Amino acid sequence: MELDAIQKDALAEFGNIGAAHAATTLSQMLMSPIEMTVPEVQAVDIAELHNYISNEISAVVVFQIQGEVADGGYIVVSMPRETVIQLTNRMLGTTDADREINEMDQSAAIEIGNIMISAFLDATAELLDIVMLPSPPALAIDMAHAAFESIIAQMAGDVNDVLIFNTELTSEAPPVYGGIYLLPNAELMQQLFLMLKRLMEPLP
Amino acid sequence: MGELRVGTCPMGTIGLGSCIALILHDQRRSLAGLAHIMLPESHGNTDRPGKFADTAISVLLEEMEKFGSTKFSIAAIVVGGAKMFQFSADSLNIGERNAAVVKDLLQEQGIRIEYEEIGGKVGRSVYYWPEKKGRLIIKRADGTCIAL
Repeated sequence: MELDAIQKDALAEFGNIGAAHAATTLSQMLMSPIEMTVPEVQAVDIAELHNYISNEISAVVVFQIQGEVADGGYIVVSMPRETVIQLTNRMLGTTDADREINEMDQSAAIEIGNIMISAFLDATAELLDIVMLPSPPALAIDMAHAAFESIIAQMAGDVNDVLIFNTELTSEAPPVYGGIYLLPNAELMQQLFLMLKRLMEPLP
Repeated sequence: MGELRVGTCPMGTIGLGSCIALILHDQRRSLAGLAHIMLPESHGNTDRPGKFADTAISVLLEEMEKFGSTKFSIAAIVVGGAKMFQFSADSLNIGERNAAVVKDLLQEQGIRIEYEEIGGKVGRSVYYWPEKKGRLIIKRADGTCIAL
């Protein structure tokens, strides 16, 4: 899968708007500023995925993209274990950072994912003037690569590469680090290109 | 993911979730093949044989036969096929089906399974050294590690 420069730009801008809304939401939740990188859009061969997704133990919260785009692919929030613990501590006012992930952390991860992804999809759907909704979330606390593998197995039956939008979110206090990944399937991608092209056309 | 390799040098695969690491080992020749299988059936898709259980097994066997192995001297190790996601519809949990198909196909081919670690809820990394009897290390995401 080859993307030309315009397609890459359009997709990056699309991701940028979604991720900016997600970051703002997280920042409001934590009442502290969140920094965000400009999303990178890459077509990644499945055999090379380990170069893009770490093997670190993370909370991976995944949503299927639904709405007008039927089974549009997946959107994922991935946060390393330490970040999840920090976030739960922050939200509950607890301080023990040196512990295993517990049930409270798991529901916090899901809730944070839910709120961020809803913001992401709301903003991007509005831009495109369509309805995009997240499915109920699924959670894995595991090696991030192992979790992504299961998602990609669902998508890459016929193709050998997937389009990954990767945005990193960081914050100083509390130290938060995580990423949002959008994994559109082929149909959604085509739809995105079309709609983005239309948006960029000059008004008649 | 989706790759396969045959040879005498160490091989491995990291961050295995619903996928299966299938290792075929010929002790006599210190030769092994490893495939990182993503999905059960290829439905005629042949561009990446390591990706699907049915094509991975036949290509691994073919490659190993080129080095002189016969089915009778080959034993299998099957690792992976975890159910990674909680609260999810079953669509994300392809692991169980992957494992079942790999085992069926091995039985069909008459290949003995020497060791299996299938299912569960944890991701795994697998490393294999084909020399002599073969050495297997499985690191699980929960921190446990086994060596054979």
